[in-house]
Amino acid sequence: MSNKYIGQSVKRVEDKRFITGQGRYTDDIVLPRMVHAYILRSPYAHARIKSIDTSEALAMKGVVTIYTGKDFENINGVPCGWQVNFKDGTTMREPKHPLLVLDKVKHAGDGVAMVVAETKEIAADAAEAINVKYEVLKAVTNPKEALAPGAPLVHDEYPDNVAFDWQIGNDKAEVDAAMASAHHITKLDFTNNRVVPNAMEPRSYIGDYDTAYDRYTLYTSTQNPHLIRLLMCAFVLGIPEHKVRVVGPDVGGGFGSKIYHYTEEALVTWAAKQLRRPIKWTSDRSEAFLTDAHGRDHVSTAEMGFDKDGHIVGLRIKTYANLGAYLSTFASAVPTYLHGTLLQGVYTTPKIHLDMTCVFTHTTAVDAYRGAGRPEATYLLERLMDVSAHEMGIDPAELRFKNFIPPFDGVNQPGYQTQVALQYDSGNYKAVLERGLEMLGYADFKEKQAEARKNGKLLGVGFSTYIEACGIAPSAVVGALGARAGLFESAQVRVQPTGKVSVYTGSHSHGQGHETSFAQVVADKLGIPLADVEIIHGDSDSVAFGMGTYGSRSLAVGGSAIVKSIEKVLEKGAKIAAHKLECSADDLDFADGKWTVKGTDKSIGFGDVALTAYVPHVYPANLEPGLDFSSFYDPANFTYPFGCHIAVVEVDAETGKVTIKRFVAVDDVGNVINPMIVEGQIHGGLAQGIGQALLEGVIYDENGQLTTGTFMDYAMPRADDLPMFETDRKTTPCPHNPLGVKGAGEAGAIGSTPAVVNAVMNATWHLGVSDLEMPLTPQRVWRAMNHK
Amino acid sequence: MAETVNITVNGTQYSKEVEGRTLLVHFLRDTLGLTGTHVGCDTSSCGACTVHIDGKAVKSCSMLAAQADGKSITTIEGMANGDELHPLQESFREKHGLQCGFCTPGMIMTAADLLNHNPNPSETEIREALEGNICRCTGYHNIVEAIKDAAEKMAVTA
Amino acid sequence: MELTGSHVLQAPVQKIWDLILNPEFLAKVTPGISRLEQESGDLYKAIAEIKIGPVHGKFEGSAELTDKVEHESFVLKVTQNSKIGNVEADIKMLMKPTENNETELSFDGVANMSGLLARTGNRVMSGVANTLTKQFFSNFEKELQNH
Repeated sequence: MSNKYIGQSVKRVEDKRFITGQGRYTDDIVLPRMVHAYILRSPYAHARIKSIDTSEALAMKGVVTIYTGKDFENINGVPCGWQVNFKDGTTMREPKHPLLVLDKVKHAGDGVAMVVAETKEIAADAAEAINVKYEVLKAVTNPKEALAPGAPLVHDEYPDNVAFDWQIGNDKAEVDAAMASAHHITKLDFTNNRVVPNAMEPRSYIGDYDTAYDRYTLYTSTQNPHLIRLLMCAFVLGIPEHKVRVVGPDVGGGFGSKIYHYTEEALVTWAAKQLRRPIKWTSDRSEAFLTDAHGRDHVSTAEMGFDKDGHIVGLRIKTYANLGAYLSTFASAVPTYLHGTLLQGVYTTPKIHLDMTCVFTHTTAVDAYRGAGRPEATYLLERLMDVSAHEMGIDPAELRFKNFIPPFDGVNQPGYQTQVALQYDSGNYKAVLERGLEMLGYADFKEKQAEARKNGKLLGVGFSTYIEACGIAPSAVVGALGARAGLFESAQVRVQPTGKVSVYTGSHSHGQGHETSFAQVVADKLGIPLADVEIIHGDSDSVAFGMGTYGSRSLAVGGSAIVKSIEKVLEKGAKIAAHKLECSADDLDFADGKWTVKGTDKSIGFGDVALTAYVPHVYPANLEPGLDFSSFYDPANFTYPFGCHIAVVEVDAETGKVTIKRFVAVDDVGNVINPMIVEGQIHGGLAQGIGQALLEGVIYDENGQLTTGTFMDYAMPRADDLPMFETDRKTTPCPHNPLGVKGAGEAGAIGSTPAVVNAVMNATWHLGVSDLEMPLTPQRVWRAMNHK
Repeated sequence: MAETVNITVNGTQYSKEVEGRTLLVHFLRDTLGLTGTHVGCDTSSCGACTVHIDGKAVKSCSMLAAQADGKSITTIEGMANGDELHPLQESFREKHGLQCGFCTPGMIMTAADLLNHNPNPSETEIREALEGNICRCTGYHNIVEAIKDAAEKMAVTA
Repeated sequence: MELTGSHVLQAPVQKIWDLILNPEFLAKVTPGISRLEQESGDLYKAIAEIKIGPVHGKFEGSAELTDKVEHESFVLKVTQNSKIGNVEADIKMLMKPTENNETELSFDGVANMSGLLARTGNRVMSGVANTLTKQFFSNFEKELQNH
């Protein structure tokens, strides 16, 4: 194998179409005879539908038809993909999430009717003419309030609004004993604010039905076309999977929100057959605010205990997770297996216990958003570390060094067994903090901070040393944990007769640059030019199977599947080469795109072998023609990227406005194929994490109305909110996948949020501010500083 | 109510019937099939639909097609000169100023307007100019780098 | 959204009471309400058009007068539906005579909004409420001179 491309910042091959306006997103696709759908949504968070009168709307010119909940009475709702059990072993409560609501709407934005018309404008006008009579009921949006006796019920059949409860870690009594022995305990109440993913491309779907072949096609802005096909065919519509093609064309960002199977996907697919016409639905942004799965929304009380030397002795947490009105596809896994299992952090904490209650409320469903459960875990741990350091009078960096798990590479030293089920693969946590402190110039910073304070400036620094579990996931492990699907990945490497290579991957790129970084791997492994490789993804008709892209899994799982197929190609290629060179395959070396007989200059190139495979005129008797291999890769473990994020902020004493002066990020994501792309992933994650800390937050009013429902009311990070990021990397390879890669998509969003909040607290602590709820808006910070 | 508008887009003249309420962005996307201009919001907040009207960056969701009658419009599809990319297009690629590509056309159009009246902007000026364009992928770092890079390239060729 | 306001009108309670219970008059002075059509007793069909800043829409719904205590108070229940969302308001109207045989008219209530109104409303609605209150009383004063 040559290393011409791997490790290089190769410019992205997909960019050409995006910078010239030729990207093809779902809403760009126009099919002949296509009609348009508009969904009438409940204006209320909780109401009983008394009647729906569509007669006036149906009579309008250009209206094709109108569907309501009645049409779906006997059709399943969209399912949850992960079963979590109550502490007592009973199955979680899984309410039906109907395609359109029949009787009772459960959050503002719940779909009540779908109008199909010749244009979107006509459909929207007609929706206005539908007369729905509601009996409005009281709503509850806060998870703790939803548990109170007498709280309005989201699902009448579940009289306490509990979806399930859950626990992880050591025996509760052991943890209580450890905490009782602690010399110092830091206790904090946390709210991890609900945020909206807001991928820039709003969700968009086109359903199409081909009568001649009895075949459906769904174009969808999804992160995982095959998963959508499986869920929609098997669980919702009951149509045979081989009769359905799902295409995820160019997708404008996902961040988790486009993993899930949404009702509208099934609606347009189903309606396409009813109407025998293609049907498109594209979300408006304000509709996206109401219907895209939201992220985070935890309410916790957490305690961390220390001995007299500052070593952690125990961690005890009670959390209420708001799951919204329905269980979205991965919703149940997020506060549990993607959250509780990360509470070890990068520390040697000997006793840990999490008690989790997951709650239904009259709000939009909550599911995985960039980081998914891990940012919430990191937030608890890293806030506790900085506050504890302050309370105990220990430098926050020093407190971390005291408690880090010592370095281990997973090869010469075994993996690290946590108290919360997972076994970390490899890590060197002190190295990233050391590098971070070096980049920051910590000693100098402290002087600068003292100086600034004398001049009335509020300068603060905040740390976060995070770990995450990525590369999801080993199917056996997640199966045991309740996942209703495997989490492997597939790849087909098809060598064409001319030696050009088409690679079909079940991963899906919606901004991550697979077409480039995957091609780098293939080109180097086969010793061919990058331009000879094409990466094909997102179409269930061309790609055998796939689990898609989320959880920073594409390269670690999807890339590994490609490597497996390449190994098969090379193994067979060697046999063909041996035949042509009249030697044994064992006598051949493969390098730089050719097989060479050891110790000679006799060789045959990759292209010649490819041609021979497809023009097998002179061919060994025991070999099949062709050079085309598929593989499925199921990882042995999660991967565990980690890093150190440091924020330096200045708080305006007059207004409370927080300005990020510097942001240092040292991430260890294992081996890196394309440093430019990895760095870009980190940047984007940082912006989202910082956004959650300073700007973004969902607010429901007391009636369950979303009052932050547009870009005018919900503060997205903009260019002038953010600094230039200072990034660096350390490399601890993953010991259990062939590329040694760990995943980089979520790191930025996981580490950065507590670093920013810690920095603001560090800047204002002397004014009596030790904890504040995110987002740290100027108003909140000013009020806290001025005790108003 | 339909009316006829005469609009020049990327150098080609069009005479089309539009409904009075049709927004310029829908005219470009649906009537002309120029889908490089994107719709990312419904409150004129995100900038994904930014185009140039008589050389100035405008959010095409904030005006009616009818208001563009007689105007000359450039969209992202009109930025390259044949196979020769606009320096901003090149720089966005070289500096990795895009990921999912959805905000990119609007970003490039806004940046082009900035560089037209301020050929050598500071980092702060670039960030302020991008205030009306939202990107969810890049954290803006590499977009700022790309615009700086394009400014340098354009200064050399100018 | 809280709705409160009070104003002294230059007319005795009796006159104010008669005027305010006259649907034609009420429609005239209430900003946005263009028409009140009697459906039965104290129940009216209400047609309204409101445009303030980014908030504009045509509303259709009902207005009902309940809990009437003659020359003292009543409750105005308004339900309005529109494309941009629905409004439900319960407003208690109070009339109190002042020393100069004038009337202090005050109201106190809550309006619950839904849909787009609620989503974009937070930012502008308190401003809208203040504007509507001012309009209500200034309209009232103007109309009072014609009666």
